Amino acid sequence: MPVFLKMSGSIILRSFGRFLVPFTIHRKKGVLCSTILQRSMSSKIPTVSYPKKESTSPPEQLGLDGWKITMKSSMQEEDASAVSSSKDEDPLVAIRELIEMWRLFGKEVPEQISEEELKSAMGCVSKSSKKKYLKYLYIKEKIKKAKQIKKEMKAALKEKAKKDQLLETTKEDKQQNFLFLRLWDRNIDIAMGWKGIQAMQFGQPLVFDMDYENYMKPKELQSTVSQLLESEGWNRRNVDPFHIYFCNLKVEGAYHKELVKRYGEKWDKLLLTATEKSHVDLFPKDSIIYLTADSPNVMTTFKHDKIYIVGSFVDKAMQTGTSLAKAKRLNLATECLPLDRYLQWDTGTKNLTLDQMMRILLCLKNTGSWEEALKFVPRRKHTGFMEISRHSQELVNRLKKSKPFNSFPKGSLNIHTQKRWLE
Amino acid sequence: MTFCFTGIRSLPKLWKSNPYLSVGPGHSYFSLFLKDCCGIRNQQKWFSLKAVSPQNTKAVNLLIAKARYLRKGDEGSNKQVSSDSHLFAAGAAKKRSQMNTHREDHALPPVRNTIQLPTRPLNSEEWDKFKEDFKGKANFESWIISQMADCHSSIDVAKSLLAWVAAKNNGIVGYDLLVKYLYLCVFHKHISEVIDVYEIMKARYKRLEPGGYTLLIQGLIHSDRWKEALLLLEDIKKVMIPSKKNYNDCIEGALLHQDVNLAWNLYQELLGHNLIPMLKTLKAFFDFGKNIKDDQYSNKLLDILLYLRNNHLYPGESFAHSIKTWFESGQCSGCGKTIESIHLSPEEYEFLKEKIMRDVIDGGDQYKKTTPQELERFQNFVKCCPPFDIVIDGLNVAKTFPKARESQVLLHVVSQLAKQNLQLLVLGRKHMLTQHSRWRKDEMKKVQKQASCFFADNISADDPFLLYATLHSGNHCKFITKDLMRDHKACLHDAKTQRLFFKWQQGHQLAIINRLPGSKITFQRIPSYDTVVQTTGDSWHIPYDEDLLERYSYEVPTKWLCLHRKT
Repeated sequence: MPVFLKMSGSIILRSFGRFLVPFTIHRKKGVLCSTILQRSMSSKIPTVSYPKKESTSPPEQLGLDGWKITMKSSMQEEDASAVSSSKDEDPLVAIRELIEMWRLFGKEVPEQISEEELKSAMGCVSKSSKKKYLKYLYIKEKIKKAKQIKKEMKAALKEKAKKDQLLETTKEDKQQNFLFLRLWDRNIDIAMGWKGIQAMQFGQPLVFDMDYENYMKPKELQSTVSQLLESEGWNRRNVDPFHIYFCNLKVEGAYHKELVKRYGEKWDKLLLTATEKSHVDLFPKDSIIYLTADSPNVMTTFKHDKIYIVGSFVDKAMQTGTSLAKAKRLNLATECLPLDRYLQWDTGTKNLTLDQMMRILLCLKNTGSWEEALKFVPRRKHTGFMEISRHSQELVNRLKKSKPFNSFPKGSLNIHTQKRWLE
Repeated sequence: MTFCFTGIRSLPKLWKSNPYLSVGPGHSYFSLFLKDCCGIRNQQKWFSLKAVSPQNTKAVNLLIAKARYLRKGDEGSNKQVSSDSHLFAAGAAKKRSQMNTHREDHALPPVRNTIQLPTRPLNSEEWDKFKEDFKGKANFESWIISQMADCHSSIDVAKSLLAWVAAKNNGIVGYDLLVKYLYLCVFHKHISEVIDVYEIMKARYKRLEPGGYTLLIQGLIHSDRWKEALLLLEDIKKVMIPSKKNYNDCIEGALLHQDVNLAWNLYQELLGHNLIPMLKTLKAFFDFGKNIKDDQYSNKLLDILLYLRNNHLYPGESFAHSIKTWFESGQCSGCGKTIESIHLSPEEYEFLKEKIMRDVIDGGDQYKKTTPQELERFQNFVKCCPPFDIVIDGLNVAKTFPKARESQVLLHVVSQLAKQNLQLLVLGRKHMLTQHSRWRKDEMKKVQKQASCFFADNISADDPFLLYATLHSGNHCKFITKDLMRDHKACLHDAKTQRLFFKWQQGHQLAIINRLPGSKITFQRIPSYDTVVQTTGDSWHIPYDEDLLERYSYEVPTKWLCLHRKT
């Protein structure tokens, strides 16, 4: 039979070429023939499914080319013609197939992908942005799966605990005396609500400037909103909360939509002031201090009669000086945290997240100690606290007494007003 | 006819203090005698090298003193001579970085805990045992094949692995293993194996991913089924823009099989996608052109050279040799004498000025770098003053010598330049005027007597003002700073403007190269020529990168290929 097969010319050439290759030395004759047979057939025609049992060859000499036959013959269930079925095929389908192949290759792409996500992947301009987006989806999927598994494990443990309890004979027959019903969470919420209302009436304002919508990509905006939620949560739990203002918040803007989406029904019951007005319309200009890391003025003390403004802006594109430019435009005083004075800065930007800012400000408000407050700066960014010598401590105290530390005199910004501002 | 070429010259070396050039030793001359194959010109042609004489501009002559390298305080042998490498010369940044840091012994990269990879095909028991010995988190099969791909194992070993996997797995081998096996086949140029894998993939999968396609294209172009690589390219196009490497491979394949038109079409398509072709691709066209005597083809190659020129790309050393060889083989251009001036044309100059104003200073928000009031103050100031000859970055110059007092250094520089009757402008910030141990008021007063000064706010950026003032004064005006201005260049939005800026910067920036305070100030010389691929219709000058020299993006090559004709 093999002899007969070798009559076809192209095959002879082919196989001849194969014999010239010095690497393919010992190969079983039978196997060779079948490969030849295989190749003589057009691969475009679905071949007869071969029996799965491929090599009866004893394991000590593995047929080096045997696997090719099964690979070629075991067709996919779907029509696997290499020639693409049609020119005008749906690009979405093509992308889906591409992602599938990437997954087989071991790239970080999601297993399941929704139509909407596919469309966003299509919309990515460059190859790298496509890969980034798919990686993001992949990580999201992984986290989701891990959570699912954890949930199932917990449920199983609960079930087990329940069974064990049932086995135990209930000897809790006698009445126990308790002082409180178990309604702790609700009570805490209500108490925090009362405190929040007090803060709305008498608290020190803290403004989040929401005027950065245009500087951010959707993803950055989402992280900003997450940070805002967290800040609001930290404030709510504090002994003496700030009265939070969201200024320049455009109704039906991207920010507003995202906030409403995240807070849901709670948005209208939040104990804070959200307004479309700017902070300069609400407060006297000379009591405003805009906090920005680019400021040349270092904050020495927390002033209880000032209104601090934090720009709600996550800046991954390193657009330095954006918030400083805003403050300059409105002619506001600016300050930055004295990170370099108290910390041995190591790495990372000096822009802190909104929730870290919130906690630092709350801590300063309640204790006034920088060491305490700056514990909220991520530990990875610095190597430890400065050893502040007594001399410099005295200097700081003197500065506190005399005038705000201004390395550069700013005429309009040094007006001292002791105006208590109340709504 | 005879050609005479110099392969390699280094222009800065020609910058002796005398404007006449003496051809130093070390230039290789060689001449070859060829029959003229051009149908157009039948005269004998005699090519020879002409030394390029840069034209000194007046301002440069005024400023440039003889550069002397003061070999004082020589600390260690790795201190490089800095005065002979230009600020923008290729390799200068690397030298600078080595000067500033004492070279440490770079620790060797951590040796990976590698298992001894098999060197011969194993049978299944051996593979089984191997797998048992393997302790790692990864999937053994894909890990081992990745290792093999890294170490370029022979394909038989890889094949035995695949056979073992298939035997365990009903004859099915995973796609990732196949691709890595394909990589090995392509690496070892095993074309028949590549074809085999290609058939398997065609049979099993409807579509591949870019990595697989790329390898198949790379493998197929050497076979007689190279046309199918083009089909694969079409397949890639359905999901994304093919990479420049894909195009490079297809073009190489087309040239390999003498399909010139196809190669050029692919090249046009590549440019159409706004991809920057690999220099390898362009080199392939030149290499192929050696054996073609066709005017149309030659013109296309000259177009490639113009493409290099317009995009400020520089060929590598081997590419430069290919260009040279092609020119020698009878396709040639004529002869010219001077290298293009570094100066911008009036239109370019106006264009750049406006862009600097709009993108760098204003940038959509005037408050970012300055304030509207300050900008107005500055513009009025510039209008009222006569055009300057030199604009000085006060802070940068003052901090040239870390040990000396700032105001003293600034005064020293200003008074030296003022002696030459130059109109000076010193740009600084307001804090320079407040009495401080490093900024003495009396010295600053003297500075203000000898030069016009403009002090920006402490939180404003001063560099944009420097750029604008220099541009505003006109083409003769230079500026002094060591700053490379990369961040300001980045504010310009399109590559064309950035290149204009860089060209202007090379022609107008003076950097102080003294190493010691108090001595006579000497500046970095300004090249009068532009480092770019250029032709005068009769000659070609092509700067190129040396193979072993790392060039940063803000540096230009120093080696030139000069092709001249002497009638």
